[in-house]
Amino acid sequence: MDSIISTFHIDWKIIIAQGVNFGIVFVVLYIYALKPLSKLMKERGDKIQKGIDDAKVNAQVLEKTNKEYEEVLNKARKEANDIFQNGKKDAEKKKAEMLEQARLEVANLIEGGKKTLEAEKIKMVADAKGEIVSLVVKTAEKILGGKDSSYEAKAIKELNNL
Amino acid sequence: MVQKEAKEIILEIEKDIKIKEEKFESEIAHEVTLFAEPVNHLGDFTITNALLTSWVVVGIIIILSIALRTRLKEVPGKLQNLFEVIIDGALSLCDQVTNSRALSIRIFPIAISAFFFILINNWLGIVPLGGFGLIEDGAHGLAFIPFLRGGTADINTTIALAVMAVVGANIFGVFSIGLWKTFNKYVNLKALGEIFTKFKKEPTIIIVAPITFFVGLIEIVGEFAKIASLSFRLFGNVFAGEVLLASMAALIAYAVPIPFLFLEILVGVIQALIFSILLVVYFTISASDHDEHNEEHEEHKVSHA
Repeated sequence: MDSIISTFHIDWKIIIAQGVNFGIVFVVLYIYALKPLSKLMKERGDKIQKGIDDAKVNAQVLEKTNKEYEEVLNKARKEANDIFQNGKKDAEKKKAEMLEQARLEVANLIEGGKKTLEAEKIKMVADAKGEIVSLVVKTAEKILGGKDSSYEAKAIKELNNL
Repeated sequence: MVQKEAKEIILEIEKDIKIKEEKFESEIAHEVTLFAEPVNHLGDFTITNALLTSWVVVGIIIILSIALRTRLKEVPGKLQNLFEVIIDGALSLCDQVTNSRALSIRIFPIAISAFFFILINNWLGIVPLGGFGLIEDGAHGLAFIPFLRGGTADINTTIALAVMAVVGANIFGVFSIGLWKTFNKYVNLKALGEIFTKFKKEPTIIIVAPITFFVGLIEIVGEFAKIASLSFRLFGNVFAGEVLLASMAALIAYAVPIPFLFLEILVGVIQALIFSILLVVYFTISASDHDEHNEEHEEHKVSHA
């Protein structure tokens, strides 16, 4: 042991001095470098982590919003389609009703026209008949010379037989 | 006539000075010694060149630390970035040994301090400033004593670091698992006590317990072995490097030592890293509770059964 001590010049005072040197290095490094740097790195790490978490949350919110937007859009599309279909149906119905109404009106008009025409025709025929009767009577009176009331009655009868 | 005599005297004096200078130069020797050479004395206390280098190292670390502290920003500069990369890498390396970030954070400050202290000491030893030193009368005539000698090329420094590592590890163990458990690692009274408590259940304990107690005693020897291995490994490697450089420079002074200088730069890093990792290993071992592992192991066995 003594030979080792003398060969290597082991000196407990220098050992203590070197221990003190290391102690100073440890304290200075810990107080001035490691502690504040670790704190800063931790804060930055936390911030980055928070940023990542926020980004994840934002992505989820965005995804949810997109989903909701799609849902709302689909719903609106469906509603619009329904409204359109209903409108189309209503319009078809209305159209059919209107057509029916128009047809009825046209039919009524035609019927009315027909009736009027018929009445006009009857009236015309009656008028024509009266004219014909009077013409026939007048012609007969002119040919036969004299008035006879039976001529008119006969003419009417003959005319009615036509 | 007087002038002629004066001239002769001056010539003789000049001749004498020249002879003395030649003798002086031829007698100065610089031998690489196994121990750090004294450069000054402070009363009883001897200031060696290795101690002087360590003080320079302390100064460098103080300056670097204060420079870092004053320039600390959220967006790091060059120095801060370098430190952050080193700290991040070293902490990850620590995690691989401890398997626990919480434990790594507790051990890390002392390990990184040891790393920087050893690294800068190693590198200062190979800085080519060997021309600065003292010329003193030695045992074999005049001797050149350089001011700078790597702090770790002195066994006193490596012993101080090794003692600090081993004692520190045990103190860390006391704070981590308690005084009683740390004490029982070396003087396993608990194992001896189990002879009386577990004898009926496990009769083999009468053989196992004394062996466990003896293993504990061997652990004490192991702690001294740790000090010896840590200190002599570091000292041996760094001193061998310095001898290698000195030998190469003595053989061919130009160009040849350059590759060896690079080699020694690398060796300096590796040795600092080895010491720091071993320090982390010792601290981790001290902080681990063997009883818990044994109990877990037994529970595992029972659950399997």
